Amino acid sequence: MHGSPFRRPALACAALAAAWLLPAAPALANAGAAPAPAVRDEAKSPLVSTEWLEKNLAAPKLRIVEVSVDPGIYERGHIPGAHTVAWHTDLVETVSRDIAGPEKFAALARRLGIDRDSTVVLYGDNNNWFAAWGAWVFAQYGLVENVKLLDGGRKKWEAEKRPLDTTTPEVAASTFPVTPAAGTLRARFADVLAVARKEKDERILDIRSPDEFSGKVIAPAGVQELAVRAGHIPGSVNVPWGRAVNPDGTLKPVAELRKLYAEAGIDGSKPVITSCRIGERSSHSWFVLSRVLGYDARNYDGSWTEYGNAVGVPVVNLAGTVWGGK
Amino acid sequence: MKASAAAVPAAALPAGTALRVGLAAALAAGLAGGAWHLSGEAGGGRLALSLVFGALFGFVLQRSRFCFLCLWRDLLDHGDPRGALGVLAALAAGLAGTTVLFGAWLPDPSGTRLPPGAHIGPVGPVLALAGLAFGAGMAVSGSCIGAHLYRLGEGSPTAPFALLGAALGFGLGFATWNPLYLAGVAEAPVAWLPRHLGYGGALVAGLAVLGAIALWLLRRRPLPAAPAPASRDPLHAVFVARWPAWLGGLAVGAIATLATLRVAPLGVTAEIGGRSRQAAASLGLLPERLEGLDGLRGCATALREGLVTPNGLFVGGLVLASLAAALAAGQFRPARPRRGHVLRGLSGGILLGWGAMTGLGCSIGTLLSGIMAGAVSGWVFAAAMLVGATVTLRLGRRLGWLA
Repeated sequence: MHGSPFRRPALACAALAAAWLLPAAPALANAGAAPAPAVRDEAKSPLVSTEWLEKNLAAPKLRIVEVSVDPGIYERGHIPGAHTVAWHTDLVETVSRDIAGPEKFAALARRLGIDRDSTVVLYGDNNNWFAAWGAWVFAQYGLVENVKLLDGGRKKWEAEKRPLDTTTPEVAASTFPVTPAAGTLRARFADVLAVARKEKDERILDIRSPDEFSGKVIAPAGVQELAVRAGHIPGSVNVPWGRAVNPDGTLKPVAELRKLYAEAGIDGSKPVITSCRIGERSSHSWFVLSRVLGYDARNYDGSWTEYGNAVGVPVVNLAGTVWGGK
Repeated sequence: MKASAAAVPAAALPAGTALRVGLAAALAAGLAGGAWHLSGEAGGGRLALSLVFGALFGFVLQRSRFCFLCLWRDLLDHGDPRGALGVLAALAAGLAGTTVLFGAWLPDPSGTRLPPGAHIGPVGPVLALAGLAFGAGMAVSGSCIGAHLYRLGEGSPTAPFALLGAALGFGLGFATWNPLYLAGVAEAPVAWLPRHLGYGGALVAGLAVLGAIALWLLRRRPLPAAPAPASRDPLHAVFVARWPAWLGGLAVGAIATLATLRVAPLGVTAEIGGRSRQAAASLGLLPERLEGLDGLRGCATALREGLVTPNGLFVGGLVLASLAAALAAGQFRPARPRRGHVLRGLSGGILLGWGAMTGLGCSIGTLLSGIMAGAVSGWVFAAAMLVGATVTLRLGRRLGWLA
C-alpha cells in the first residue's frame, strides 16, 4: 500500500531524493570510525525500534501518532492504537504561513490525550519526513525529550509485516495548557541573514538536492517553483536529508551521522541552522542534529521560499542560472 | 470466481464453446497471475488489489449489464423499472458500507475535514453543466464511460471510438477549465451531508430518498411478470444468463465499499484523464496552470509519473474481466465499426470526456462514489445526467439521429 508511490509530487520528490542519495551509503559505512551503536530504546533515546513499539503498544501514557504525507494511508491501516495528525491542517495555520498557534496546538494535544508526562512516538511514511517535522512543532510547545520517532517509520513496520489496524482509538482528552511557542528551536529570516552576512558565526545546513543547492533548478522535479531566484544562502553547506537514512528507513548509527556532518564542517561546535525549500524536509535533519546528535540546532522553516524571494539579500548561485527574459 | 468458468465440463460442450470457455479461463488465470506477481513486488499490494477490484467490477458490470443508459432507457421506453432498482440497490448498499467506514475514519464529521480520498466535490452550476453534457454524451454514444469500458470487452464497435472521444473531451475540458473554475467552481460549496446531519442522519436520509424513489417506481411501473428461468443450472445462472440488476447492484455496492477500504473509491476516469492531461501537456495544448484542479476531490488527473498506476490497473482489469465474462457467456460479439458507430462514438465520447473532466468524475466516480460518500455533488450530477440523457434522447429521436 505504501508503495503505489509516485502519484503525488511530494512523494515523488522524496522518493527521488532518497533514490538519488542512497547509493552513497555503503561507502560511508566503510569509511566510518569504530561503529558506535546508536542509543536506541532506552528511556533517553529519541528513537524507538519497531520491536520495542510492538511490545509496548498497550503501555499507559504512551501515545502513538502517525504523521504521513499521503492522505488516506493512515485510515487504510496504521499501527494499532495510533492517532493521526494531518500535517497540512493540524500542525500549521492554514491562512497565514506559520506553525500551529498556541490555541490550535493545545487543542490538538488535548484531542490526542497528550500531557506533559506522556511519551509520544511519532512515525510516518517517507522515512519519517513529516513525523520529524511534527517532532519539531511539538518541541516548540515544550514536548521535546518525551517525543520520539519510530526508527524506520512506517516503511520498516510494514516491511517487517507487523500488524496494522483500521480502527480509530478513543482516548480521554488531556488538559494540555495553552502556552506560547518557544522560539529557541526556530531560526528566523534575520538569523539566517546575519549568518549570510557573516555577522554571526553559525552554520547553515541546506538539505535540498544538489541541483537545488547549486541553483540548477529552483524546486525538485514535479514541485512548483515558489522562489524567484535560484541558489543557496551564502555560507551554507549541502548534505541532503536522505543521506542520514539507511535503505530500510532507519537512521544511520550515531558515529556515521557525526562523520557525515563533520565532513561538511558541522561538528556541533557552532550552532546549526537547518534549511530546505519550505522548511519541512529540513526538520528531518534538525531532528538528527538536535535530538540524536545533541547539537545546538534550529530549523529555518522560511527556508528557500522565504530567502530566495527576499529583496536585497546575498545569494550564491553556482550553476549560473540568472534571472532574465528569454 | 472466474476461475470456476473452467469447471464447465469442456467435454460436454461444442468445440466453439470449449474454445471460448478455455480463453475465458486463460484470461482469468492471467489476471490472477498478474495480481499475484504485483503483490510480490515491494509495495505492490495496493496495485494488486486495484487489479483484482477492477476485474471483479468488470465481471459484475458485464454479467448484470450495469449500464446507466440501458437501465434508464428500459424505464423510459419500456416502463421496466428493474434496472433503475438495481442502481438504487447499488447506491443503498454502497452508502451503508461507506458510512460505516467513514464513521471509523473520521469519528467527528462536523469539523472542516473530509474523509480521505472521498469523492466529495464542489456543488454549483458548473457541476450541473458537466452532468448535462455527460448525460447527452451517454445518449449520443449509447453508454457512459464505465459501460463503454465493459463493452470494449464485449467487442462493441462504438466503445473504442467513444473512449477515444472521451480522451479528446478531457483535453477540451482542460482547455475550458480555468474560466469555469474562476467563474463557478472556486467558491462553490463542498457539501457533505454527514457534516450537517451526522453519519446516522445522513444514512437514514439517503436510504429514505432511495427507498422513496424505489417505491414510487414500483407503484408507477409494476415489475413485469417473471419469465420462467431458462435453466436451473447454477453455472449457467452465474456465467451465461444475465444477472438480475438488483444482484449486480448489491455486488457493485459491496465492491465499492471494499475498494474504498483498501484502495480508493470506485472511479474509472482518473487514468483516462491523467493520460489525456499528459498527452495534452506534451503537445503543448494544456493551459500553463489548471487553477485549483489538483486540490479538488474526485477522479484526480494529476500527471502520471509511473507506468503502472492503481487506476490504470483497475481499468485494465475491468476490460479484461469483462472480455473473459463475455467470452464465457457467448456474448463476445465483435463487429466491424460503421460510419455511424465512429461518428456517434466520437461525438458522444467528447461530451462524456468534457463532462467527466469538468464534473471531476463520471457516473461511477462522481455519481456512485459521490452519493455513497454522502456528497451532495453525487446527487446533483445524477439529476443533471438524467436530464441531459433524456432530453438528448428525445431530441435525437425527433430529429431521427438517435435510435
